[in-house]
Amino acid sequence: MHRPSAPFLLPVLFGLSILATSCAKDDPATPAPVAPASPEIMRVAHVVDGLPLTYDTLLYTNEAGTTFSVSRVEYYLSELVLIGSGGTANDTLHGPWYVNAAGTTDFELTSLRTGTYSGATMLLGLPPELNLTDSLPNTIENINMAWPVPMGGGYHFIKFEGHFLADSAPHGFAMHIGRNAFLPHCEMPQGFTITGGGGKLLLTFNLNEVFRSPHTYDLASGNYSMGSAVLMGQLRDNCANSFTIAYEP
Amino acid sequence: MNGRLLPSLALAAMFLVAACTRDSVDPPPAGHTARTPVDLAGPWYFPQMTVPANNPTTLEGIQLGRRLYYDPLLSTYGPMAGRSCSSCHSQELGFTVPTPPSNFLNVLPHVNLGWSTNFLWNGEVQGTLEDIMRFEVEEFFQVDVNLLRNHPEYPQLFQAALGTSSITQDDVGKALAQWFRSMISSNSRFDQYLRHEIALTPSELNGMTLYLTETGDCFHCHGIPLLTDNAFHNIGLDSVFTGSDQGRFLVTGNPMDMGAFKASTLRNIAQTAPYMHDGRFATLEEVVEHYNSGVKPSPSLDPIMTKPGKETGLNLSPQQKADLVAFLNTFTDQTFLTDTALASPF
Repeated sequence: MHRPSAPFLLPVLFGLSILATSCAKDDPATPAPVAPASPEIMRVAHVVDGLPLTYDTLLYTNEAGTTFSVSRVEYYLSELVLIGSGGTANDTLHGPWYVNAAGTTDFELTSLRTGTYSGATMLLGLPPELNLTDSLPNTIENINMAWPVPMGGGYHFIKFEGHFLADSAPHGFAMHIGRNAFLPHCEMPQGFTITGGGGKLLLTFNLNEVFRSPHTYDLASGNYSMGSAVLMGQLRDNCANSFTIAYEP
Repeated sequence: MNGRLLPSLALAAMFLVAACTRDSVDPPPAGHTARTPVDLAGPWYFPQMTVPANNPTTLEGIQLGRRLYYDPLLSTYGPMAGRSCSSCHSQELGFTVPTPPSNFLNVLPHVNLGWSTNFLWNGEVQGTLEDIMRFEVEEFFQVDVNLLRNHPEYPQLFQAALGTSSITQDDVGKALAQWFRSMISSNSRFDQYLRHEIALTPSELNGMTLYLTETGDCFHCHGIPLLTDNAFHNIGLDSVFTGSDQGRFLVTGNPMDMGAFKASTLRNIAQTAPYMHDGRFATLEEVVEHYNSGVKPSPSLDPIMTKPGKETGLNLSPQQKADLVAFLNTFTDQTFLTDTALASPF
């Protein structure tokens, strides 16, 4: 009878060792794993000058004095940079996160550095390296956010739609932004302290800021932005101040 | 890798799997038969289909669903007596028919519904295919499961597909849902163009540019590749709404949903005439002309339909309209329309 050769025994022993460790989970003598720390949540809230977002109701008034409603708010956030108290970037969360104000507003974060921050910056949209056709996974949401190739490719950064009153009659508006030149860079100068332990990083999007400053946006003279460099440029500028940040322990 | 190691590693791996399997998997239920998993992945540019964990797609499930789809037994004692699903969803017509039963809206096509979450023209049913199939089984066809339980073949087919021969309405819905997930159209000329397999004609390419830019602006509601955004839109068919023309409003009661209907997919659109929820347009040329010059204002008109200077339509030239129709014709998928795996098993 031949003795088993080493090349045969080694893999068998290897397999047995894996077997032993893989089945150990059933062994009551094995200590239970330490529960992971509570995940941090990034929550995006939507308001209109302090009023909660209510869809399809003509109850908001923008800076130009126009009454409007909201029917769709979908967008991407990315490259969230938390600024340390010394004024330098202390943590960067890349995302991207697809947000639908009607549903998808909470995101689990793998890590948040505890500490005191003086503010944050963020992209409302996608960085250029991701703003390429088919660069994001083919989810239904991403597909519906595609910016067609003949118009430059990539993705819509935001779709903000609704109706406004003009001559006492409702008319539609569609504030769509896309293309790298019109990527909104958001500044959030609010200080906050991250204490950890399962708190919420709260971003609040005031939709009325989209119409406010530095350009007082008149829906009656620009209700459809896609394809208009002038209108997308104004919206890009206005979106820069549309978010605030806070941390809720 | 040393070739002599492979058999040893395989042996070790088999031993490992066998050893752990005994401890971690419950024994199969009595009467269990092996089922054959089916991967329903479309081309690379298709989204991943979400399949409920409690109804994985299997070959046996698809085959059972296919048989049920074509079998009028389902409707024997219900209001649709004598009909099967296929009575109003004919494969060569993109799984629709030109004339709906009386008092029904235009028949929506059955294609790529595995990616849908809104069903029927006004979204009366939302959720998964299991949800809409439950509606079809319980309310539309009012399936008498005793007919299936006492059938000489169905109990065995349900046993093979779902591991049960007791057969509930829920089981019927699950089998149908599996079949619907397999009804995938992804080989139209436009798909072949996307995969760089063929070229389109100059007219078709012009039409594609119109479709994918603000000039024609089809892409917002009929984006690539599913050719629907699965959402509801008032596209200006009417200014005054009564009866079923009220659309989504009848479900939500929201005035801003007045006249809004689900954006139906444009896959095989050339085969699925007539068009719109009430079948008011007989040809694609009529449809394009609606968007070109026939949009009617109303308070709930979709914002996408309200471009400055184009409030009543796109103002396309005759050549542009012809090019757009030429491009719409590239959505015809002859593979899907003639695939024997989708045809009646009877």
